[in-house]
Amino acid sequence: MDYILSILVFFPAIAALLGFVIDKDSARVYGITVAAIEFFLSLWLWFSFDGSNAGMQFVELIPVIPDFGVNYYLGVDGISLFIILMTTMMTLIGIMSLSVKENVKNMIITLLFLEMTMVGVFVSLDAIIFYLFWELSLVPMLYIIGAWGGSLRVYAAVKFFLYTFAGSLIMLVGMLFMAYTYQSLTGVWSFALTDWYALVLPVSYQMWLFAAFFIGFAIKVPMFPFHTWLPYAHGQAPTIGSVILAAVLLKMGTYGFVRFSLPLFPDAAVIWITPIAVLSIIMIIYTAMVAYAQKDMKQVIAYSSVSHMGIVMLGIFAMNAEGIGGSVFQMLSHGIVSGALFMLVGVIYDRRHTKMMDEFGGIAAVMPKYAVIFGIMLVASVGLPLTIGFVGEFLVLIGFYQVSPIMTILAGTSIIIGSVYMLSLFKKSFFGPVTKEENRNLKDLDAKETWSLVPLVAIVVWLGIYPKPILDPIDNSVKAMLNFMDEKAITQEAKDMIHVAKSTKEAK
Amino acid sequence: MIGLSHYLIVSALLFSIGLIGVLRRRNLLMLFFATEVMLNAVNIAFAAISHFYNDLSGQMFAFFVIAIAASEVAVGLGILIVLYKKHGSLDLDDLATMKG
Amino acid sequence: MMENLVYIALFAPLVSSLFAAMFGMSQRKTFVGVIASLLLFTSFVASATLAVEVFTTGEAIAVTMMQWIGMGDLYIPFGFVVDQVSVTMMTMVSLISTIVHVYSIGYMDHDKSFNRFFSYLSAFVFSMMVLVMSDNFAGLFIGWEGVGVCSWLLIGFWYHKPDQSREDNPSISPSWAANEAFIMNRIADLGMLVGLFILYWNVGSLQYDAVFAAIPNLDQWILNGAAIALFIGAMGKSAQFPLHTWLTDAMEGPTPVSALIHAATMVTAGVFLVIRANPLFAVTPEVSYFIAALGTFVAFFAASMALVNRDLKRIIAFSTLSQLGYMFAAAGLGAYWIALFHLVAHAFFKALLFLGAGNVMHAMHDELDIFKMGGLKKVMRPTYIYMGLASLTLAGIFPLAGFFSKDAIIETAFNEGTYILWIMLVVTAGMTAFYSFRQVFLTFHGTERYDHHEIHPHEMYKFVLIAMSPLAILAVIAGFFKGGFETFVTSLLPAYHMSEHTHHYVWLLTAIVTLFAVGGILLAYLKYNKGLERNEKLENSFIYKLLANQYYIPRLYEEMISKPYAMISEKFWHGVDLKIVDRTVDGIAHFLYRSGDVNRRMQTGNLSHYLNWMAVGAVVLMVAAAVTAMIG
Repeated sequence: MDYILSILVFFPAIAALLGFVIDKDSARVYGITVAAIEFFLSLWLWFSFDGSNAGMQFVELIPVIPDFGVNYYLGVDGISLFIILMTTMMTLIGIMSLSVKENVKNMIITLLFLEMTMVGVFVSLDAIIFYLFWELSLVPMLYIIGAWGGSLRVYAAVKFFLYTFAGSLIMLVGMLFMAYTYQSLTGVWSFALTDWYALVLPVSYQMWLFAAFFIGFAIKVPMFPFHTWLPYAHGQAPTIGSVILAAVLLKMGTYGFVRFSLPLFPDAAVIWITPIAVLSIIMIIYTAMVAYAQKDMKQVIAYSSVSHMGIVMLGIFAMNAEGIGGSVFQMLSHGIVSGALFMLVGVIYDRRHTKMMDEFGGIAAVMPKYAVIFGIMLVASVGLPLTIGFVGEFLVLIGFYQVSPIMTILAGTSIIIGSVYMLSLFKKSFFGPVTKEENRNLKDLDAKETWSLVPLVAIVVWLGIYPKPILDPIDNSVKAMLNFMDEKAITQEAKDMIHVAKSTKEAK
Repeated sequence: MIGLSHYLIVSALLFSIGLIGVLRRRNLLMLFFATEVMLNAVNIAFAAISHFYNDLSGQMFAFFVIAIAASEVAVGLGILIVLYKKHGSLDLDDLATMKG
Repeated sequence: MMENLVYIALFAPLVSSLFAAMFGMSQRKTFVGVIASLLLFTSFVASATLAVEVFTTGEAIAVTMMQWIGMGDLYIPFGFVVDQVSVTMMTMVSLISTIVHVYSIGYMDHDKSFNRFFSYLSAFVFSMMVLVMSDNFAGLFIGWEGVGVCSWLLIGFWYHKPDQSREDNPSISPSWAANEAFIMNRIADLGMLVGLFILYWNVGSLQYDAVFAAIPNLDQWILNGAAIALFIGAMGKSAQFPLHTWLTDAMEGPTPVSALIHAATMVTAGVFLVIRANPLFAVTPEVSYFIAALGTFVAFFAASMALVNRDLKRIIAFSTLSQLGYMFAAAGLGAYWIALFHLVAHAFFKALLFLGAGNVMHAMHDELDIFKMGGLKKVMRPTYIYMGLASLTLAGIFPLAGFFSKDAIIETAFNEGTYILWIMLVVTAGMTAFYSFRQVFLTFHGTERYDHHEIHPHEMYKFVLIAMSPLAILAVIAGFFKGGFETFVTSLLPAYHMSEHTHHYVWLLTAIVTLFAVGGILLAYLKYNKGLERNEKLENSFIYKLLANQYYIPRLYEEMISKPYAMISEKFWHGVDLKIVDRTVDGIAHFLYRSGDVNRRMQTGNLSHYLNWMAVGAVVLMVAAAVTAMIG
């Protein structure tokens, strides 16, 4: 299967088109089947992936507009592979746990389209194709929030769409300028990322281009102070929307930093380390404190997402394998844990139609299974060793320590304040006596919910104990990238900051 | 001796008259007349310059303009008649249905 | 063969935990407790065998199970080392856990979450085993956090209890106390993580042997930094000032938990860390001296609060805090093996004391106020004997274990020439004796101050009392193994000998300490043996109130940290996030919208106006063209 990536991208889209003619009642089963096939395809991708090869694999290249160097150009490496796996898995689990009642068929079709765009973003190696999928991903999400959301859904959906759209337009300008620069330096047009990688740009160009890309990515991450669309989007979106948004869409931003900003503009990236680290630390501490002030469970998780993405950002700009690899792993772990937490909030919302913490209390006694799974996700979220949350956070912090010990200590406070808001959430809703009559007879997790959550629990524990199968390919690709960045950097400062792992040096 | 500049001055004066008509008049029919005046001012300029350069394409263009103006008037007058039938007036101040 | 024993010792508690977890949501089943106890006993047998093996061969057993994290140059395996220090801890931990498990079968008899309790308890033991057995700092951190989370689960075991005001219940509620413990430990864990980072970037590895081998090549300030950071971690877990308030609040947990976690094992993890990392602390004398000074201060400080407390469990918790201070004093002064010896001896008698307190609670229907007890020795003679014995040991009376271990620490303080520390430790020994026997006399002697109609005290089940006997025996005889213990552990730990000068005074020193201890007991006897005579004037005095309110430190934390934190968070949300950040974004959107709204008025619908605008536009364009043509 040479075209596995194309299949991965377009299979859900074709299935979604076919979905229009499917009977309404079987839409759910259809959706689960398609998402499951897609997931197994991505598993197959993993098994046929060569972990020791740090470069791009399964590359497909079909010229689309040869005059302007626009190609249909796909490939995966260790960095994107697992994000793709997580995307297909979270879509599958999201559809399995789907709890919307009306227009289920439309929801399934939307989700499958969304899956196409998400996978597309992570496999694209051509800037135009990347941009295409990047923007397309907004549409299904807009629809999901706007059609199935809460009372403020239109405001939230429009805010989400316009905000991220404005950012990505600036990114598009950056891409066009990059291609223009490429053309003026080499004489040919190209939008292929691999061509762009080879281009050594003067620092002033790098600064401008970095800034353009930064705005596009930073809004998506979302970095402070561009984060305010997120609480609204999460607050209003249906459970499935929040799950996908937190698990996958946010990762596009950080993935963009790893894929574009660092290797394209190594000197600019090094110059930007301090401002970005400061923003990340504000993100980590400030949003964690805001999360503590929330009354709505879902908003707590939404703000905690921002806080955790701050950790990811920090790791990316550590400029060493520990930090960047840790960031990539943290993207996966955050995707799984926050996705699961949003699903868990959805469970209680389905029962009580409220997410306010003071409406609950003592749930642990009424819904023990629910409380156990929530507890496991909670400890993963606060980064307990032997859960998935620890590995990424630890690597990021250890990586950034090399850049700045003081900033690492500030960022490290996330392990304290993270536990403050999570534990207070848990205490308010799960502990204490059952105060409300209507909570006394809540049903514990049913089969559907259990079967969607148990795999996530298993992954959280498995990757916490044995992350090696994931870490090794990431490690290879990240080391290769750093090596390449180090060679490409033109300023001495950048060469000093970019740390090539000792093991890579020895191998040379 | 009447030179190119005289023609162009006439053309410019005619154009200004037409432009003032376009800006000041409220009656649609009068607007049409004013635009016709502007078009003809341009025609004069075309013909004069064409003669000055000994290049026939200018005059050819003038013919085009005349032809287009004629058809435009035909269509425009048709619209005006319909408008008049509908509103009973051709005064622009009364015809502000497209107000934003 | 030995490798298998290592794995058995390590994983038997995990198996036990998972087994109990399978029944976590079902009805109380006694066999769950029995099987859990058997598995724990297996772990103890394996640990004891390993101890014998290490003792006879004198060599450490190291196993590496698999890689855990590998990224960049960082490589962390799941590696375990069984040497003189870790095997001592393993044996102690597994022995006490086995006893506590058996004890819990009786104590948690009527609790509907019986199975869940065993699952948590065994999970704790597993984490503790990982902590002591790991051969690298990251593995230690796994156990470190693992015991933290188990402690959170177990303190909050009776999570259904509601919050109360601080006046009614100083620890507010079990779930509140659990959160407090976890968060406070996390503060210290950050310090510990920083210590790991310092070591990693300067050594390139987190393996104990690699780190210790690299110490001679490191700069002094790096060593100091690492030592301080690691000690901050130890301060949290061992509840040293100023992170001490969680330990007394942790008494909200079931009593077996207090015995196992908050007396014998988890809280000593900090001391264990200092002992484990002794090559590092040995080359950082300033930090070590600080540790000793802080330890001494905490010993005194905690003992002072215990003097006036009325809560049976809290008094024991304060005494634990105080004894931890002793251990840190010894470790800080370089007498690592003495610290370890006191750690082990303390584990035996303190667990015994707590389990005895559990018996009393069981008899008194969870009454904890010793002012409302008295005269219990008639109905609970074995418990009385156990608790009396443990208190004698705690007070340091010859020839019980506490005498040997505590006396050695006090002697060390004298030997090092730190006379201020020595005086404080001696005074604290007297205070310890006083409050221990105040508690014993108020509980077991004198008049019966409880309500006879509602409470019918009864002795604990017989099997529970039998299960407690090993602790009692060890509390009595452990002191006699001091010499053997010394030779055993000092093959790994640095030896510590008293100088000639100290040898000269040793009898005098011992006599002074014993004098203080006996004096404390006598004072308690005179004051409380007959019964309770409340002294209003004393109870209203400033010092009494200060001590009874724990120097107002919990209240200070609440006023200075918790409340401002909540307030700032609220400000950040409403004042900054919604009012500034989000309003700016919405402001931009509104500006665009408003400008469209304003410009809409151009769209009058009047063709004539449009034509005017068109003319203006044309003129502007032409002028622009002309200007650019002229400039260009």
